[in-house]
Amino acid sequence: MKLAQYIAARLGVYVVVLFMGITITFFLPRLMPSDPIENYIAQLQNQAGQTLSEAEVMQLRATLAELYGLEGSLFTQYINHLKRIFLTFDFGPSFASFPRPVSEFIWVALPWTLGLLTTTTFIAWSLGNFIGLLAGFFHNNRLATALEVVGVLIYPIPYYILALVFILVLAYIFPVFPLSTTIRPGPLTWSKIQMIATNSALPALTLITAGFGWNILSMKSLAYATKEEPYVTFARLKGVPPRKIMISYVFRNALLPQVTALALSIGMIFNGALLTEILFSYPGLGLLMRTAVGSGDYNMLYGTITMSIMAVATAALVIDLLYPLFDPRIRYK
Amino acid sequence: MSQPGKYLRIIIFGLLMLLLAACQTPTEAGLSPAGAAGGQEQSDQQGTLTDVGTPRHETLVVQTFDRKSANPDQMNPLMQYAHWRGFRELGWGFLWETDTGTGESYPELAADMPEVLNPEHTRFRIKLKEGIYWSDGVEFTTDDIIYTLDTYFNEREKLTNANVNRIVNYIKSYQAIDRYTFEVETVNPSYDLHTVMGVYTWGSAFIPVPKHIFEKQPDVSQFRNTYPVTLGPYVVKEFDPNGFWQLWERREDWERSAWGWMGEPKPKYVLYKDFGPEETRVLAFVQNQYDVDTFMSPDSIKAAQERNPYITTFSDKMPYHNMDDACSYGVLMNQHKPPLDKAEVRWALALSLDLKEVGINALSGEFKASPLPMVDTRILRPIYFEPLIPWLQEFTLPDGYKPFDPNFAADLVARLAESGVPAEELPQGEEAISEAFGIGWWKYDPAEAERLLNSVGITKNADGVYTLPDGSVWELELVIPGDWNKVMQRVGFSIADSWRKAGIQVNARQVDNAEFSKVQNTNALLTTILNWTNCIFTPNYLNSWHSISLENLKAADATEPIVGNQYRWNNATVDALIKESKAMDQSDPKFRENGRAILQEFVKDMAYINIMNIPTTIPTNEYYWTNFPKQDNYYAVPYTWWSSFKEIVVNIEPTGRR
Repeated sequence: MKLAQYIAARLGVYVVVLFMGITITFFLPRLMPSDPIENYIAQLQNQAGQTLSEAEVMQLRATLAELYGLEGSLFTQYINHLKRIFLTFDFGPSFASFPRPVSEFIWVALPWTLGLLTTTTFIAWSLGNFIGLLAGFFHNNRLATALEVVGVLIYPIPYYILALVFILVLAYIFPVFPLSTTIRPGPLTWSKIQMIATNSALPALTLITAGFGWNILSMKSLAYATKEEPYVTFARLKGVPPRKIMISYVFRNALLPQVTALALSIGMIFNGALLTEILFSYPGLGLLMRTAVGSGDYNMLYGTITMSIMAVATAALVIDLLYPLFDPRIRYK
Repeated sequence: MSQPGKYLRIIIFGLLMLLLAACQTPTEAGLSPAGAAGGQEQSDQQGTLTDVGTPRHETLVVQTFDRKSANPDQMNPLMQYAHWRGFRELGWGFLWETDTGTGESYPELAADMPEVLNPEHTRFRIKLKEGIYWSDGVEFTTDDIIYTLDTYFNEREKLTNANVNRIVNYIKSYQAIDRYTFEVETVNPSYDLHTVMGVYTWGSAFIPVPKHIFEKQPDVSQFRNTYPVTLGPYVVKEFDPNGFWQLWERREDWERSAWGWMGEPKPKYVLYKDFGPEETRVLAFVQNQYDVDTFMSPDSIKAAQERNPYITTFSDKMPYHNMDDACSYGVLMNQHKPPLDKAEVRWALALSLDLKEVGINALSGEFKASPLPMVDTRILRPIYFEPLIPWLQEFTLPDGYKPFDPNFAADLVARLAESGVPAEELPQGEEAISEAFGIGWWKYDPAEAERLLNSVGITKNADGVYTLPDGSVWELELVIPGDWNKVMQRVGFSIADSWRKAGIQVNARQVDNAEFSKVQNTNALLTTILNWTNCIFTPNYLNSWHSISLENLKAADATEPIVGNQYRWNNATVDALIKESKAMDQSDPKFRENGRAILQEFVKDMAYINIMNIPTTIPTNEYYWTNFPKQDNYYAVPYTWWSSFKEIVVNIEPTGRR
């Protein structure tokens, strides 16, 4: 019964977070000092030789306002927006690529962002925690210390710099990886999977390297502190094998804060997407968002940010729901 | 083996395996991308392959102008967006084109220039060339022209290509005469039919679509026209659904295309690709991954040249880059907002601007100044600049001060020489210096600027900062682009710095491109903005200045968008000159005389502080292809996104390297 209450409370929070997030994303882009119609007209005016007359500009403004659904009061637009999202999951057309629906762009971009960043986040988390566990548990071992030093050195390097160093070394000086992503269209065959893996390797390597340093340091501290706990000492004196002590006694207890950290880092996935996608010309939601901001494409922003909110909230919910598996105190509270 | 050592060795081994898997060569993967040679594959038979699998020596690879495409499968020219990445140059065909070397129009799909049928200049007959075919083998005829015009008129409410409005407001009626002849009647007397229904500088408002394809579509506004049937000599072969690249292939029957008569386009393939941010673009350029860049910064070009001798700029002499773009950089001012409503204040801003310093700081001196609100190009200089030089030299402000500095370019060269630019890279002689750096600019004279400001009650306080007549500090906002236009960003900060040194309290506000457009187009937001505008390529100045009319003026803080007259300029003389010019043949000497008179009015009022031609930095890599347009081989402007690209693909030659 307690567990059911716990799950119901988490689901309730999930729904409230989604509603608030979707409401805020509706109003935020409209506070931006930009206007998709003016942006489009300015693009045309900047293309020499296509200068429109005054009457033509006025006519174009009216046409675009009608087509883009920007007529009517803000409240009317908000209600229509909620109806569209909750009833049909429709974010409307992209203004910059009218009349193509925003959802089409999102479905194309989302797998790339989720695929790369989820994979690398979990690898970085697992690898960092594993090395951290070893470094903490065997803190006198030189190899463990060396890996910890690597973590300490890498952790403070800004991602942008780290990525450029990787590009310079592994795509320019030793050109083993492509400088920019090139993936040819076609069905998902084994060859295409290899192509995607080849093109994703460098961004993935950079993300993993940038991500695992903190996990090493954090897990090392936790493991070091946990192995001095009385119940670990008792187990050691009782003759429990070191591997069992490390995994069952130290790792399981040190893991809980790290699971919370994982949930938080999943929330950062969409932040990480932007820089990665720009630097490596990697397709995904980050670039979609950046383009939408640059062109004042409200609907695209609604779509991408709403998807981010939903993904992050869902990930947090999943972690919350998994907590009882890791922590018996929640299960039996 | 100790426990940690064992675990760590397992991890390191696993990582090595991952690395090896990722580094698998393209041949092993059965595909071309990535791997050896930084994204290019080596094949014994075909030589190096591009990362999309075409032989590199048969492929011209170009950095895209618009970076990543947001809507890559949208290839319908009736809707917005299907212009960049080759559509405008390689795919579509136009009735008339522009020779970018001379600025003259020439027939492309049309057999000749339009025949005028009445003295009012409203009715025209146009004859099409015979023997031009769409890429699917169907002949191009007046049926396609009439169908396209019908679609423009009937579907205008749904078509988002803004030029549809241009055409439907311009043309009153049209009719087919025979299979290769049609007539149009315009709403007003027209002297620019060839640059409205044909190309002016960048694009054409009228793009014929294939009737036999489009008429089958239930709704042409929903039709994406992916892999379009084209009139140009290339067709889209493959494109990235994520928008980073697009590959064009030469038609087998290129001779029957819209401009097959120009000669054989040399590259079998043209690949447009976004090589990412400038940091990675430079690396790819050095690795010979592509041939032509677009707007690379001078610093990056220098870095690339030091590592690859095949990379060259437009000229080996300063200012190194092409200066023939139609648009210029300048400062737009809201002339309705005090104190910018006074000509003395606008002149003070011009005279407080140390342009030599700005150009050296922001562009390493690689710029061409222009005091007139027009680009100083080889086409416009003899018509508008040279005749006005004596007038500029004698021009005085109301207080008798002569603001023009004819020695600007010579002084700039001297400063560049002092700063260490090798003598052989600097132009020698008065004419060469003038051609390179411009005819002159305004004097840098903060003392005269102070006199002008004092005359309207703006004085310096004890801190040396200008205050308004009411005693408050004069705070001037200068809107400049953010990171999305680094060249303008640097120029903008340098201008602000120059004004601050003169005592003007400037706030340089960087904005994103969407906000930039809004500031430019919405009356109330603007104080001053560093802008690229005033786009004039041919002697026809009306395309840019047609909207400078008194009717388009609004109050200083009016919140509605501007409909033309972005200068917010209230000048009855200019208003009359524009109206008069609209009813003139553009080859009429009086038309050009009116243009010079408008330029003089701009200067008298300092209605727009024009600064410099846009330095168009288009380095080329001549490892695989050579004979690109250069200063000493000028057969077209070197841009890959203009009509000039047609001449480029016909004139370049393979080097034979594979």
